[in-house]
Amino acid sequence: MINRRKFIRSLIFWALLAPVIVVILFPYAVMTITALKSATEVHDPNWWPSEWRWQNFPEMWETSGFAPALLNSLYVSGLTTLLTLVVSIPAAYALSRFRFFGRGAFRQFLLVSQMLSPIVLVIGLFRLVASLGLIDNLNILMWVYVAFNIAFCVWMLQSYFSTIPRDLEEAAWMEGAGRARTLIVVFLPLAVPAIVVTAIFTFINAWNEFVIALTMLRREENYTLPIRVFSLVAGRYTVDWNYVMAAAFLASVPVAIIFAWLQRYLVRGLALGAVK
Amino acid sequence: MNRLALPYLLILPSFVLAAAIILWPVGEIVTLAVHDVNRFGMLRGFIGFDNFRELFADPDFFAALWRTLVWTAAVVLGTLVVSTPIALILNEDFYGRSLARVLIMLPWAISLTMTAIVWRWALNGESGMLNSGLRGLGLMNENIQWLAQASTAFPMQILIGILVSIPFTVTIFLGGLSSVPEDLYDAAAIEGAGRWTQFRLITLPLLRPFINIAFVLNTIYVFNSFPIIWATTQGGPANSTDILVTYLYKLGFRLGKLGEASAVSLIMFAILLVFTLIYVRLTMREEAA
Repeated sequence: MINRRKFIRSLIFWALLAPVIVVILFPYAVMTITALKSATEVHDPNWWPSEWRWQNFPEMWETSGFAPALLNSLYVSGLTTLLTLVVSIPAAYALSRFRFFGRGAFRQFLLVSQMLSPIVLVIGLFRLVASLGLIDNLNILMWVYVAFNIAFCVWMLQSYFSTIPRDLEEAAWMEGAGRARTLIVVFLPLAVPAIVVTAIFTFINAWNEFVIALTMLRREENYTLPIRVFSLVAGRYTVDWNYVMAAAFLASVPVAIIFAWLQRYLVRGLALGAVK
Repeated sequence: MNRLALPYLLILPSFVLAAAIILWPVGEIVTLAVHDVNRFGMLRGFIGFDNFRELFADPDFFAALWRTLVWTAAVVLGTLVVSTPIALILNEDFYGRSLARVLIMLPWAISLTMTAIVWRWALNGESGMLNSGLRGLGLMNENIQWLAQASTAFPMQILIGILVSIPFTVTIFLGGLSSVPEDLYDAAAIEGAGRWTQFRLITLPLLRPFINIAFVLNTIYVFNSFPIIWATTQGGPANSTDILVTYLYKLGFRLGKLGEASAVSLIMFAILLVFTLIYVRLTMREEAA
């Protein structure tokens, strides 16, 4: 049974959203269509190719160094996520369960470090890394990402942790479970959704980061994906746009699909975290 | 003793790490900003505010500063204006709502760099697909060299900036809308309030803290946004689309003027600090309310 009023309302709403959705989908269309054009047709002023050229993908894979960049990105983003959680979860737990001297100061420190974005600090960061002799090192890149994600993660986790009722933990203490055991058996299982949401955000942040990677990475074999794709475009006299778009497609569509699938949870989590 | 030390032990790793990697560079930048620095980063003596003076003598700096303000204001206000109706619509019940939500959130999933690179190609003057699309629809006859001059490149960059800011902003608004109790509307409807009156007297006031937060956070993000401009025009042609972040990057890593670049960083800190203070005040007022 289609509800008539709801149907008309839906038509109006879709019509209102249509302009925005067209503009949002436009770059995806450009990316997908160009990725499937032949090198000669790329520069024709036509929208559609005469034939869909799927070989662009294997050819791009061969010539552009996509695979090592993909591995680098997975390595850096995966480890960043893991380490950020390892240092953020205890801090968030402390903020939500203890009243201690300096708690307010620590929260303010987080706020300030959230405010200082990598780009504003880029000169100082470069000097820090250079003085350690670690330019062009993926591990130091990862540590920088961890540092810049801590504030957001602690903030998000803390606001979730505060919504987990204390009674459950207190009940476990009464039963004689120690603090550590309560934490592992009672608290952390309840916090899993929050941890997953935060992990995904951290992963996406690291996956997409541009400025620091651009500044710190020198040799091509160390490039992460955004730098790899950017290097196919920047400072070149001729750009193979079909390969660039194929690379952009492979680098972004899997993430976009995962994101679309998890979007509902992420949205709820962020809305909660931002305001609490 | 153990009990007292526990919270400090728990926050220690995160504090040490963030402090080392964030505060140390801050100190470094302050040092550089007040020293004469050669292009390899060697300090050659204390010069007080000379780097700032040098900067204030550079018309490009003021152009970039002014453009940053225009960029931030245009993107943030544009985003709020577009996102409010989108959030209101997505908060209603209609067919295909989950699909609409996914579509609106889509720009979030792709890195700014990729988005900017795709747009750079789409806006290509000779064979870009925006030109061929618009011509195909009969909307124009001649190709526009979108990225060849600031008068078309900069508005396009602002448009991209708005597009990628919508998902975050809509998310915050949806969170806000879901906290508005349904019975308020029922009560208002019984009193005879129309939909516009309901929006003005119920939705908007209850949404205000969320609008404030979206406003300040977007301002900080957009003010710091580097990839959109860097990957489309690198601040060109002839520095005409530079904002402070791209100006800073060029100054530091292309021209090797590390002292002046650090001075730009400090000026940006000062501006960001003001934004952050506003944010703190807004959230505090909300907590108090």
